[in-house]
Amino acid sequence: MKKAFCLLALAFALASCNGILSGLYDEVETTAPFGFKLVNEAEGSGTIYLDVRDYEKWTYINLRERTIDSANMVNDEPEPQHWDFALHRYDVKTNGGAARETEFLTMDALTAHGHYDEGTFVADTAGRVVVDMSTMMDGYLGYHDSNINMVLSRWLNVDTSTMPPIYTLSGKVYVLRLADGTFAALLFTDFMDEASVKGFATIKYIYPL
Amino acid sequence: MINKQFRLFVLLALVLGVGFDLMAQRTVQGTVSDAATGEAIIGAAVRVKEHSAVGSVTDQKGHYTLQLPDGKACHIEVSFLGYHTKNQQIKSGSSMILDVALDENVSMLETVVVTATRTPKLLKDVPVITRVIDAKEILATDVGNVQDLLQAELPGIEFTYSMNQQVSLNMQGFGGNSVLFLVDGERMAGETLDNVDYSRLGLNDVGRIEIVKGAASSLYGSNAVGGVVNLISREAKEPWTLNVGSRWGSHNDWRNCASLSFNTGRFSSSTNFQHTSCDPIAMKNDGDFGTIYGNHTFSLKEKITVSPTHRMKLTARAGYFFRERESLETAHDRYRDFSGGLKAEYDLEESSDLTLSYAFDQYDKSSYALQSGLDVRSYSNVQHNLRGLFNHGFGKKSTLTLGGDYMRDYLMSYQFSDNGAHIQHTADAFAQFDWNATEKLSVIAALRYDFFSQAKLHHVSPKLGMMYKLGKVALRASYADGFRAPTLKEMYMSFDMANIFMIYGNPNLRPETSHNFNLAAEYTRNHYNVTLLGFHNRVSDRITTVWNQALNGMMYENMSPLTISGLDFSASARWDCGLRVRLSYIFTHESLNDSDSHTSTTRPHSATARVEYGKNWKNYGFNVALTGRALSAVTCDEYTSLTDLTETERVTYPGYTIWKLSVLQHIGRGLNLTATVDNLFNYVPEYYYSNSPATTGTTFAVGLSVDIDKYFKDKKL
Repeated sequence: MKKAFCLLALAFALASCNGILSGLYDEVETTAPFGFKLVNEAEGSGTIYLDVRDYEKWTYINLRERTIDSANMVNDEPEPQHWDFALHRYDVKTNGGAARETEFLTMDALTAHGHYDEGTFVADTAGRVVVDMSTMMDGYLGYHDSNINMVLSRWLNVDTSTMPPIYTLSGKVYVLRLADGTFAALLFTDFMDEASVKGFATIKYIYPL
Repeated sequence: MINKQFRLFVLLALVLGVGFDLMAQRTVQGTVSDAATGEAIIGAAVRVKEHSAVGSVTDQKGHYTLQLPDGKACHIEVSFLGYHTKNQQIKSGSSMILDVALDENVSMLETVVVTATRTPKLLKDVPVITRVIDAKEILATDVGNVQDLLQAELPGIEFTYSMNQQVSLNMQGFGGNSVLFLVDGERMAGETLDNVDYSRLGLNDVGRIEIVKGAASSLYGSNAVGGVVNLISREAKEPWTLNVGSRWGSHNDWRNCASLSFNTGRFSSSTNFQHTSCDPIAMKNDGDFGTIYGNHTFSLKEKITVSPTHRMKLTARAGYFFRERESLETAHDRYRDFSGGLKAEYDLEESSDLTLSYAFDQYDKSSYALQSGLDVRSYSNVQHNLRGLFNHGFGKKSTLTLGGDYMRDYLMSYQFSDNGAHIQHTADAFAQFDWNATEKLSVIAALRYDFFSQAKLHHVSPKLGMMYKLGKVALRASYADGFRAPTLKEMYMSFDMANIFMIYGNPNLRPETSHNFNLAAEYTRNHYNVTLLGFHNRVSDRITTVWNQALNGMMYENMSPLTISGLDFSASARWDCGLRVRLSYIFTHESLNDSDSHTSTTRPHSATARVEYGKNWKNYGFNVALTGRALSAVTCDEYTSLTDLTETERVTYPGYTIWKLSVLQHIGRGLNLTATVDNLFNYVPEYYYSNSPATTGTTFAVGLSVDIDKYFKDKKL
């Protein structure tokens, strides 16, 4: 019994000053690989991982070139020459395109069904997006005029009627009709990074359909 | 030859003498048990009034044996703490069996408590009013967690939700960081929005809870400003016990427990397991929160005690706690705690004892992403605590207590720049002198010095208390200093609050301090007890966040002075028919000294009531408890803007009353059945404010627990 007690004493004495069992947890890379990931050239599919924490920026996605760019709208930075859709926080807009929400929850279900052009496609409308949250506690927010695609922006519902807000993913596959008439499928799967920090977006895509 | 004859003579004389003596002696033996439950009482003192040298203490089975020197009639006195002493006549004659059943002293004034003085002391002799909730009361109240228990038993305590459904305490105007929660006298690591994780405080292994209201920094240092709540674990006293239990309630609210203990005299072990879970609960009306997150917890604790000699006791303990909260569709919040400790207690001589201990507590928070399966830690508070405590008694007149602690406090947090970490070393030394000046008058005085390395803080906390017994009335008066040192979070925070504003720490904060004055009168007669306590606290430099124009963000600052005063009344009675009643009421008035605004959300009036009726027979017993709590509305001023503290609006939070009915049944040797209807009158808030009860109306719960060991033991010898 004394031996057991001594062993326990030793175990505690050796316990790290800054804690024990850190191996229970996962480490995440501090510089996450944003952009196009897991690209399958043959199927035209992949995953887009974006950092959209900055309220003043739009992040532009070019599906053909598989490039990402961003521009600060408050500083009137010009948007890139070629892009297909863009995200500002969880808002989405298209570059002259239109979109519809399907009832499908997986890409496979959509591709099995086909008929990408069926249904009603909704184009962007004029609106405004929040660019300054710092005045929220004074009862108002800072806005900037911008086009928004109301259908694609339904990918995440943020219910701010309670604190903290309730975030609900639609889980639906969206069909985006680009300005040139080609189609892309988009499935938004997450709004946080691996450390569960909000302000990120993970989008599965197929282009062209 | 002469020698041989002499030896034979001596031998015969001895044999005959002993024989005559043996013929005159007789043995009286029996069992001492609890009159209500029939359970054996271990350690009860049995003494013979006519023969002061003859006495015994009951063993593990409650059994005693007395060797009486003659066959004459005499009287025995049987006593045990927490029970009424019983005198029994023994008739003249030969050996006999005499079982004694003791009645519990329900007023609990005979209960030994430790929190108010840090030494074992009878409740009736403690110079500071201490409220005790024992295991039987916990069982009869049938609650799922410590918050519900404290709210049901004590007025002036309110647990509410703060931001992100984190639980927040208000105890008579003091928040969670100003009320010190202890487990077996040890601090708890970790906090969220200034409150410890109350869900760590499982009730299945709690022997009693001691609540001391008012400042107690002279013994416990930082955070003991508004009071101390000490949860004391059950001791493994019987040779072995095994209990399993399960409780199910509305919203799929489960609590499953198991406990196993051994005691061989020199070695004892106690193992406790608890698992809880609850579905998400959708509120019925609009409010500050719409759904209460689903959650599950489990905890495992082990405590081993070894007594190498009759003067030494060594204790080792270890514990693990886990909680998962379904806060988001895609990610859950996780909370873990690892705790351990070693303690050596040594009786230096009859009137002195020394305790040396080491305690380790680590509280982590992490986020578990459901899609990726990654569990990423964002917070870790690790505390190492070394302590020495020495008591020396000067007869029955007085006790000197000397002690000191060293603590290393490590905090890594997402609220620091780059998820950084900070370390603080704290050290203290304290002395207390407890003097029973006369049979009626006792005085207690204490002084403590604390040092905090990062805050560069030196603080001295004095205390002076006295008690005067005037017949059935005990008068108590005390002054105590309370303080709370700035925490690492408050000194070094640099946190972006959802792009809305930054919150900055302040390394130049002063400690919160409180001058606490209490005056109490307690009347006790037979089964009746009435207590009236007046309290007054002058609180300075309370730490809070204030908008800082230069930084364009929030910053921790010291507040202007405020006072918290009030009256605390309680009355309890017990009748032999099995009926018990307790009524308690608290009035609290909080005011800021240099402001016309009344920003306190402390409810001025609150009351609790408990009516209980129970009976016990050999194989069946029951207890019906009706408990209620009433909280008055509170009207306060709230700032209309976070950045401009000039305009306020008046807000009223409605009062409410909630009643609960619990039925506890003991069936056979070890079966306990509970059934509870909570919120009897179906109270539903019209709007769920953060301080509204998170209830959707009447709820139900049923529970079953089995003391398996009792089926293998004799109930009464």
